[in-house]
Amino acid sequence: MGRYAVRRSLTIIPVLLGVSVLVFSFIHLIPGDPALTMLGERATPEKVEEVRRHLGLDRPIPEQYLIYLGKIVRGDLGISIVRGDPVLTDLLRRFPATVELATAAIFLALLFGIPIGIVSAVWRNSLVDSFSRVWALAGVSMPIFWLGLMLAWFFGVQLRWLPTGFRLDTGTAFEPWTNFVILDAALQGNWAVLRDALRHLILPAVALATIPLAVIARMTRASMLEVLSQEYIRTAEAKGLPQAAVILRHALRNALLPVLTVVGLQVGHLLAGAILTETIFSWPGIGLWVYESIESRDYAIVQGASLFIAVIFVVVNLVTDVLYAAIDPRIKYD
Amino acid sequence: MRHRTFALLVSLLLLGLADSAPAQTFVFGAQGEPVQLDPAVITDGISSRITRQIYDSLVKYKGATTEVEPALAEKWEVSADGKVWTFHLRKNVKFHDGNPLDATSVLWNFERWWKSAHSQHENQVKAGQTFEYWEAQFGGFDDKSIVEKVEAVGSHTVRITLKAPQAPFLANLAMFVFDIASPKAVEKWGTEFGKHPVGTGAFKFVEWKPNQEVILEANPDYWGVKPKVKRVVLRNIKDNSQRLVALKAGEIHGMEGLNPDDVKVVRSDPNLQILLRPTNTTGYIAFNYKVKEFQDKRVRLAFAHAINKRAIVDALYGGTGLVASQFQPPSLWGYNKELKDFEWSPAKAQALLKQAGFAQGLSEITWEDGKREPLVFWYMSRSRPYFPNPKEIGEAMAADLAKAGIKVQLQTAEWAVYLDKRKNGQLPVYMLGWTGDNGDPDNFICYFFCSPGAPREGFYSNKPLADLLLRAQSLTRQAERARLYRQAEQMLQEDVGRLFIANNQPPLAFSKKVKGYVTNPTGSEHFNTVEVQ
Repeated sequence: MGRYAVRRSLTIIPVLLGVSVLVFSFIHLIPGDPALTMLGERATPEKVEEVRRHLGLDRPIPEQYLIYLGKIVRGDLGISIVRGDPVLTDLLRRFPATVELATAAIFLALLFGIPIGIVSAVWRNSLVDSFSRVWALAGVSMPIFWLGLMLAWFFGVQLRWLPTGFRLDTGTAFEPWTNFVILDAALQGNWAVLRDALRHLILPAVALATIPLAVIARMTRASMLEVLSQEYIRTAEAKGLPQAAVILRHALRNALLPVLTVVGLQVGHLLAGAILTETIFSWPGIGLWVYESIESRDYAIVQGASLFIAVIFVVVNLVTDVLYAAIDPRIKYD
Repeated sequence: MRHRTFALLVSLLLLGLADSAPAQTFVFGAQGEPVQLDPAVITDGISSRITRQIYDSLVKYKGATTEVEPALAEKWEVSADGKVWTFHLRKNVKFHDGNPLDATSVLWNFERWWKSAHSQHENQVKAGQTFEYWEAQFGGFDDKSIVEKVEAVGSHTVRITLKAPQAPFLANLAMFVFDIASPKAVEKWGTEFGKHPVGTGAFKFVEWKPNQEVILEANPDYWGVKPKVKRVVLRNIKDNSQRLVALKAGEIHGMEGLNPDDVKVVRSDPNLQILLRPTNTTGYIAFNYKVKEFQDKRVRLAFAHAINKRAIVDALYGGTGLVASQFQPPSLWGYNKELKDFEWSPAKAQALLKQAGFAQGLSEITWEDGKREPLVFWYMSRSRPYFPNPKEIGEAMAADLAKAGIKVQLQTAEWAVYLDKRKNGQLPVYMLGWTGDNGDPDNFICYFFCSPGAPREGFYSNKPLADLLLRAQSLTRQAERARLYRQAEQMLQEDVGRLFIANNQPPLAFSKKVKGYVTNPTGSEHFNTVEVQ
């Protein structure tokens, strides 16, 4: 198990190097002169040259890459081209908002996805199953953008139950400690802010949870069906165990293994989905920030954030694999 | 204190912001995050929307027009040769940090913008910021600038001497970039000043929550019309549709950046109202004069008669567009009211094509070097105020042209590539436009037609037009200049140098509770007159 973890960890080095090459290439792969793109209609040739020099685009590409790699190894993700702030500082300040949203979304996805999957598998081809399969299919194919707008319109404009965006109401006096607003409000015992923060979290979390929820439900169903047809289940049933015990104690535990992998992979989708969800709900996390930076052609931020997201994705999947090995002793590196 | 905050929050929760937002606060939905709040180095509308509330300039645009009226300077004189301007500053005006506004502080601001060795200029440039608009409007820095000297000739009198008269001088000074900042505050914060702005404006800066909102509070000592609300919050809502949802939900009181299709939605909502910003933007089609066919005026005229501008404006501008007969929009004082637009007539267009030798229609072009290729019409890949739906507008124009026998292939490119190709004169015929900076006709028309034969203008060369525009630039009397600009528009039309399609009046949406918002063509709108009932 220990050896597996070490060897599995080593494999992420080439992956991360590959990611760094890809992220670095962004600026060269995008059509058009990045300097001109940034300056827009009013660019003068001198200005374009100046920006090119400023970005180091006048040097040979391999040299640019090595300089870039050297910097990221030292934790320097560069300086925002538009605002002049260090990318890493901004990234760390915005990250808690995204983590808060993604955690809420994955929590919702698991909370509803797994039971729906179980129910569908146990009462296969029943009305419940058909409904949940259609629903899961719709969930997977739902454009988050549209869903987000509809949720905001229905619960914000029509019913006026929930706010249509942001983490807190405007003008709320609150000094967060860690920028995890919910955690901070709870730690400070500020229940009004906690309630406000939770109300703001609901719609974006539901929108972001839709796809992972559907995927998890489908995966749980498929995995449960497979496990339920195994002989040991029949044995358990034959022993006269109550159905709930058979399903929850014997079947579910084994069925959840593949689901765990899917959850790990969903983290990547959550981070990608966060770009849309955060934009729709003006949620001040990394997603909104990346979206704005793409629009304003702030390559330093797009590069820094992409690299960061890729690292998180790789690390989460590493952790998932190691956990998998911990749960299932049969897994080892051959 | 804690109880009060708690009570306030609970009431907010219970009632929803719509009903409980104290009329003391005006919440405006901004289109995104400001870059920073130091007016001298910004160029974008989102940032300047905020800085215009915090700072004042020497002169400002009057109400909904681009005419200039006193602001920090209560009056001024200009010498007979148009080179020496003397500004008399308002007395007893203080910056928000308590320091007085006087001739020395104005002089300090000018030197910062103008002199590259000024410590607060140099450090900005080192940090990657440039004083772009100073360079553009006043010819450059140090000796390159049209400004010869700036002096404080009394405690509240500033004299600016120019090397040559500059017609749009006052209009330039009214631009947001030439807002006066507190020298003490700039020196204190250096390159971080943009996060701690201090001016003399109607609102003081309170807080900037990144990616969320900027909060301002009323300046009770303001020299002008005292603010009618206690607070202004500019909330950053990136998505146009979502901003409208927030407006409908009552979370914000006003917004800009409305999708053309949503104008109708707002108009049909009894709680909302639309205000149009007087137009300051024109979309056009430009010809490349290295294409032999376009060197023939009859072909250009055929394009002019073929395109049904009225139908395009009616269908694709959400009811906020205007048909353009000339380059300057009607809000500019150089606009030529007498000018008649080309009649829409596919038959006329066909006849003209026939005369020009294209009886079978036009579907191929010949470059000057003899290369022949299909006629490609380039449409923009990005929406701009002058062409809010560039693809649909391009398709509509292509369909109109086809009816007259001009068969084009539509093509676009990523925005940077598009601009690049345009700059190098590689596009045979293309869509683009312009949004004015300062309300002066010179800024609109001279940029394009004062340098004949420039590749970026499709090599269009009209020397008499350029001479006329340069003459207009050197005069200071507005009436005389206006006459020349009207003449310039006529010359441009007679030559069918370019086809002007539409102006747009960018729509802003507000709750009906909002009164007193005055829109301005330059987008310089001051919130001190705004009331929330």
